[in-house]
Amino acid sequence: MNDTILKAENLCYTYEADDRPALDGLSLELHRGKKIACMGSNGSGKSTFFLCCNGILRPDSGTVYYNNLPLDYSKKGLLNIRSKIGIVFQDPDNQLFSASVAQEISFGPMNLGFSESDTRQMVSDIMEKLGITPFAHKPVHALSGGQKKLVAIADILVMRPELIIFDEPAAALDPLHTELVHDIIGQVTKEGITVLMATHDVNYAFEWADEILVFHNGKLLDSGSPDEIFSNDTLLETASLKPPIVLSILKNPEILNTYSCKRKHTFTHSL
Amino acid sequence: MIIIDKLCYTSGLRYVNTMEKFVFSMLTLLICIISKSITVSVVVLLVTGFLTVGKGGVSLSRYLKFMTIPLVFLFLSTTAILVNISHAPLDAFAIPLGSYYLTGSFYGLLKGARLIFTALAGVSCLYFLSFSTPITDILEVLKRLHVPGLIIELMLLIYRHIFIMLHTASAITNAQHSRLGNKNIRIAKKSFAAMMSAVFILSVKRGGALYNAMEARCYNGRIRVLSEERPAKYSEILFIAGFELFLVYCSRR
Repeated sequence: MNDTILKAENLCYTYEADDRPALDGLSLELHRGKKIACMGSNGSGKSTFFLCCNGILRPDSGTVYYNNLPLDYSKKGLLNIRSKIGIVFQDPDNQLFSASVAQEISFGPMNLGFSESDTRQMVSDIMEKLGITPFAHKPVHALSGGQKKLVAIADILVMRPELIIFDEPAAALDPLHTELVHDIIGQVTKEGITVLMATHDVNYAFEWADEILVFHNGKLLDSGSPDEIFSNDTLLETASLKPPIVLSILKNPEILNTYSCKRKHTFTHSL
Repeated sequence: MIIIDKLCYTSGLRYVNTMEKFVFSMLTLLICIISKSITVSVVVLLVTGFLTVGKGGVSLSRYLKFMTIPLVFLFLSTTAILVNISHAPLDAFAIPLGSYYLTGSFYGLLKGARLIFTALAGVSCLYFLSFSTPITDILEVLKRLHVPGLIIELMLLIYRHIFIMLHTASAITNAQHSRLGNKNIRIAKKSFAAMMSAVFILSVKRGGALYNAMEARCYNGRIRVLSEERPAKYSEILFIAGFELFLVYCSRR
């Protein structure tokens, strides 16, 4: 069960215009079928690492292994790796290129070489599954942020990858769409797809993840189960993470009093 | 332009076969221009107006408002044909201006009227197409007419990004106005310039991000997507053929 799907070894990457490296000797392992949360402050190298995973960025040094084979950067090798690893980008406006929802979703399967009729079937299946069908006739620019996010996820799910990377999937979503997206991610993992998710939501990461990777300054600061990570106060402080609210309450039940005081206060206020 | 984009997605004619709509509007346009007949133009104006308003569901007042946009240009440009300035008065009308006359001939009036009607009818054909057909559908037709793939793909990307850019521009403008960026003309000009350069830089960035996202989905230099064709109906084809023949008949009388 504990086999490795993706391994990074000593990755270093510096963007052209920067003098500080975005990845600075990052090494980690992702295990097949797991729910993995990737945490760390802005600019800690999460997104850069994701782009290295499917060969969009080529690390200056270090190696990415997929299924124990080093990444092959030939055209064929890249197409192969990208059919196995899907990335749902943070801003749907940077991902959705077509004004038509169905055309947008069909882009991946057509690139994988599926026939028109197969693609049509796959697209309508995924739209049904994610509840996109009711607004599929609208142009992409008329969709709400949450709807665009669902389309962006459908874009990737329809390609049936082995590993899906979600880059802050709940960023800028309302509670309803956040829950919808979380439900979809839950379903995806049930189907045996490995999920790697960047998130700042400690409460969600705590309840959802099997394993948490903590990034800091382009390195892996630590990795482990949510319990291990969130009980390590020095680690949390270095990575500027807050403990999940459940743990804070367990540790210091006094917090509950301040909450109830607040509620009482607003109650009397509204009277 | 944005209104047209919104309207075409809710049009009652949206799901009619795109090729039919395209052929109908282009053939009709062609016959209008070639015949330059007022009869043909009036028939076309009535029929396309009925299709756009009656079948498509665009409100009449909005349609008429759209039709007045070219009207302004038409009157300005036909003035030159309708009105002459000369020593001798012509047959239609003549207003003396000192030793000159502001004058026009019946032939000139007829020519002007023809021009106005033909142009309006032509515009109504194009409105019919753009009020009933989303751009993505029109691109499908262009593809079937063997327009080079590169041009079609560029149109696809540009169309999507027009809205992203407009959205960014208005967000930046709002943020500037919230900080008194339009206090006086000098500052407003400066703000506008800053907004434009920000939008430009952002669009370059977005282009890069979009390319990455497309690559992540196995993009290899060709945008291949599903075509969303609606089957053509015999009754509609028959109507189009009959209508075009009728127009040709009208123009030959």
